[in-house]
Amino acid sequence: MVGLLVLVGVLAAATAVGLVLRSRAGRVRTTARPAAPNGWDLAGTPAGDARFLLLQLSSPICTPCRQTAVLLSGVAAQDPGVRHVEIDVADRPDVARELSVMRTPTTIGFDRTGREVLRISGVPRRGELVTALER
Amino acid sequence: MSAPDGPLDPRGVRFAAIVTTVVLALVLLSGSGWLALAQTLVFALGAFAGMRFTPYGVLYRLVVAPRLGPPAEREPAAPVRFSQLVGFVFAAVGTVGYLAGLPVLGIVAIAFALAAAFLNAAFGYCLGCEMYGLLARARA
Repeated sequence: MVGLLVLVGVLAAATAVGLVLRSRAGRVRTTARPAAPNGWDLAGTPAGDARFLLLQLSSPICTPCRQTAVLLSGVAAQDPGVRHVEIDVADRPDVARELSVMRTPTTIGFDRTGREVLRISGVPRRGELVTALER
Repeated sequence: MSAPDGPLDPRGVRFAAIVTTVVLALVLLSGSGWLALAQTLVFALGAFAGMRFTPYGVLYRLVVAPRLGPPAEREPAAPVRFSQLVGFVFAAVGTVGYLAGLPVLGIVAIAFALAAAFLNAAFGYCLGCEMYGLLARARA
């Protein structure tokens, strides 16, 4: 009897967690972290004439990271104002720490001045991202 | 863990998670320490030998995969193996709980393992794999 109750409870709780994770995955969240480090400095590249940086944090063994890299380099190829830089958190754990990134892939968008403006965990939803970049 | 093995068919990993979910649900319903022990041994095979050597992996390859056709993508084996190790630890604690007459310990440990297996089976979200990524970050 206790086992049955626990079973039902666990399945209900795990379903709730799964639905929340699914609804958040790939969504573009606008962020405002004034104290956050400068994105171009972290990426190790000057802004130049780019107006937007998509900094992707990946780990060595991560299937969605590869899908994300393909998607983001495609977005950057279509829009010359957008630069895509991928960082491996195994090589640069400091970057993950400074940006408080707990999962890979996480993509963080920085504006021309290097200020963080958006964040996406999981494989980005392309349409949503492109819309956010146009604003 | 021993030498890394080749990439896995993600549908096989999902299949194994579904069977694991069913078995762990049966453990909770029956309170059977022996069934918990059997699942613990499956986790041990997955963690220490590789997913291919688990009965669920064999069942997938022999019965399910031939009906599905070749996989569109493959996923790295290391995080999956790590997730099996996490499952092994929880299932082992649960087995000890049931067999040693500590049913609460058994129920709690199996409940955690069930939650993780169900998240993978129903949503394709591998908790143990995420932990692997975090640990890789912490180790670096």
